Amino acid sequence: MSSSKKSSDGKSSEIEEAVASLTMPFNKILLTSSDGESFEIDEAVARKFQIIAHMIEDDCAGKAIPIDNVTGDILSKIIEYAKKHVVEPDEDEDEEAKKKLDSWDAKFVEKLDLETIFKIILAANYLNFEGLLGFASQTVADYIKDKTPEEVREIFNIENDFTPEEEEAIRKENAWTFNG
Amino acid sequence: MATTVLCGGGGDVDGCDGERSLDLLPAALLETIMTKLDVGSLCSLASTCKTLKSCVTRVLTFTPNFHIFNVSLSMETVRPLLFPNQQLSSLKLDCGRLGNSAIDILVRPSLREISLHNCRDFSGDLISEIGRRCKDLRLLCLGSVAEKVGRSISRCAFEDLLNGCSHLEVLALMFDLSLYLRPGDGRIFGLVSDKLTHLELGHISSRMMTQLLTSTEISGQDSSRVTSTVLQNVQQLRLSVDCITDAVVKAISKSLTSLIDLDIRDAPLEDPRQLSDLTDFGLHEINQNGKLKHLSLIRSQEFHPTYFRRVSDQGMLFLADKCLGMESICLGGFCRVTDAGFKTILHSCASLSKFSIYHGPKLTDLVFHDILATTLSLSHVCLRRCHLLTDHAIQKLASSLKLENLDLRGCRNLRDGTLKAVSHLPKLKVLLLDGTDISDTGLSYLKEGLLDSLVSLSVRGCRNLTDKFMSTLFDGSSKLVLRELDLSNLPNLTDAAIFALAKSGAPITKLQLRECRLIGDASVMALASTRVYEDECPGSSLCLLDLYDCGGITQLSFKWLKKPFFPRLKWLGITGSVNRDIVDALARRRPHLQVSCRGEELGNDGEDDWDSADIHQHIEAQEDELEQWILGDEGDVEMEDAEDDSEEDASEED
Repeated sequence: MSSSKKSSDGKSSEIEEAVASLTMPFNKILLTSSDGESFEIDEAVARKFQIIAHMIEDDCAGKAIPIDNVTGDILSKIIEYAKKHVVEPDEDEDEEAKKKLDSWDAKFVEKLDLETIFKIILAANYLNFEGLLGFASQTVADYIKDKTPEEVREIFNIENDFTPEEEEAIRKENAWTFNG
Repeated sequence: MATTVLCGGGGDVDGCDGERSLDLLPAALLETIMTKLDVGSLCSLASTCKTLKSCVTRVLTFTPNFHIFNVSLSMETVRPLLFPNQQLSSLKLDCGRLGNSAIDILVRPSLREISLHNCRDFSGDLISEIGRRCKDLRLLCLGSVAEKVGRSISRCAFEDLLNGCSHLEVLALMFDLSLYLRPGDGRIFGLVSDKLTHLELGHISSRMMTQLLTSTEISGQDSSRVTSTVLQNVQQLRLSVDCITDAVVKAISKSLTSLIDLDIRDAPLEDPRQLSDLTDFGLHEINQNGKLKHLSLIRSQEFHPTYFRRVSDQGMLFLADKCLGMESICLGGFCRVTDAGFKTILHSCASLSKFSIYHGPKLTDLVFHDILATTLSLSHVCLRRCHLLTDHAIQKLASSLKLENLDLRGCRNLRDGTLKAVSHLPKLKVLLLDGTDISDTGLSYLKEGLLDSLVSLSVRGCRNLTDKFMSTLFDGSSKLVLRELDLSNLPNLTDAAIFALAKSGAPITKLQLRECRLIGDASVMALASTRVYEDECPGSSLCLLDLYDCGGITQLSFKWLKKPFFPRLKWLGITGSVNRDIVDALARRRPHLQVSCRGEELGNDGEDDWDSADIHQHIEAQEDELEQWILGDEGDVEMEDAEDDSEEDASEED
């Protein structure tokens, strides 16, 4: 995942990032999706994607960065999320802000279908955007939570490739989960 | 990026069906998702297809938490799930079907949190082994250890535990310690780590508690009583003792200098004598360090009708004086305290948010008369068995718009005015009105306001109620958030009410119909065939169904209690005498359903409601003999004090 040279700096790199986001608010980065769509975003937002943050550090980032593995529609959703989460409110200090952000997150994901969420997970993983990866994973986990196997198969379109004997054995093993 | 795994469907990966499939994600991402799931959901997921099964097996070897509530698993089920995981950090289990043979599986050196309930079949070895193996343990909760006949715990087991777990921060031993420890053994607790912040003991004698908190230091010729430093960092203390005395309260207040939360309860078997009881002076000693935020002092009448007879309004004044920063107060069994005392508490503690009085026969509406003059924003109010309370008090209380939890059980003189008053409270989640004098009209007021906040409603024993209120509330016109409903002991409730409930499709999870004479098989059929509107899946949403002593239940109901009906049912209460064989057959076919035939209250609430035995026992009493005894007793108190004084000269009891 991330870390690398940031791990040793710890606090000082936090300060650096904060200073960077303050003094260079107008530094724009251009991201191009696999299907040719372009998105211009602030550097602070782009830094949420660790893969891009590293490129900026290493000075490899030109003005335009191609993102080959992600299509435009998914990239736009990811950028929307990143913009909202540029500054994460501290739960202890600002409870109101955290609640508002949480409810924005809930609405954000409500509109998305499962297919899109999977694509977002894959893209967030590629871009190394840990916050969104965790959030999207949790969303999928919430779909699975407390459901019976049949329900999970239904929702995720999973094909049952067990033989009847295997199926019976597994049902017996896991009977306790769905009160079987 | 890791290569994607083969999809199960047709070969076309870009096809719209295939894309949605969970098993298309790379294994690493699947694991990220799975680490956010609990063990139950993981096992469910493992039953879907081969790819996911192997992924789950891998995740189970490193998942840090293993929490399974509400179901007792057998050894065969638990072993393969727990065994391969060497990194387990938090374990929470119901051990109803496990015994000493499971100790090896459960007690692992990597654990930092252990919470095991229902350990009846374990002996003290469990405690010893935890002390010997789990050196990094931070949290330990053990419930009901060695309660099965023939099991016991030795004193060394406790020593092993406290010696071994030197980083313990939370310790809860929720069983009767006085069975295994003699009063002098209290010194064992001196071994406890000084990082301990929470301590809960199931039952201990006051004397042992007092002794372990004070120690005698003999320096030269003097032998002076010095307060020991044990338990100095404890912030939360929860105890059940044999009898709350001035001595134990004083010792606790003096020694536990960091105490924020104090919860003591007793249930005496006989009237406490003068020197072994709580008096006004004991209350004077509370909270000497001024840090106390939560206080709970309860005398239960479970075994004997006693109360804090030596505490009067003066004691309350002392308490109010010392406890200005309190956020939560719960007083049970202070039957001599009048409005003056309770009012002083309400008006002195400006940050109070939870206020509970259990059994206040002298508490009247006056206590709340000018509550608007205070700046209190009460969220939890519990006024149980306060017979003099009327609707006026509730109207005044209802000005606290932050009320979430209102427990008025046993207040016989509350009527529909109460419901009118509370119906506009925007945040009310729990409303308990057992034994009050409400009627159907009153409950219809709930439609005006509470239906999008009320989660739990109890009207047990409100004898005036009929089917009407059920058809009013469950007319299908609005989406209810109501999940828990207690309709026990309603003699006029018939199957028609349950039809209305079932028809509306409300996703009720907890339904109690104990002792409703007119409820019968038709209700069970109706509930079994509910199609709940929230789920895509048919079938009843009920997790708990209590039909104990329902007049019309016959063998026919059992056809409807079998699978696939009631798929989520975990607790069932039924009268065993219907037909013992059939009940046993049901219990066998549904091994994870807890069937209770002897009328016990169902469900395991995490929080032990320490007054619940009293509540259900005393609500039905038509004539409150207890109350008359207490009120008529006033003249005799002086006589008894005189008697007690003469006893003082006699040798002190053990």
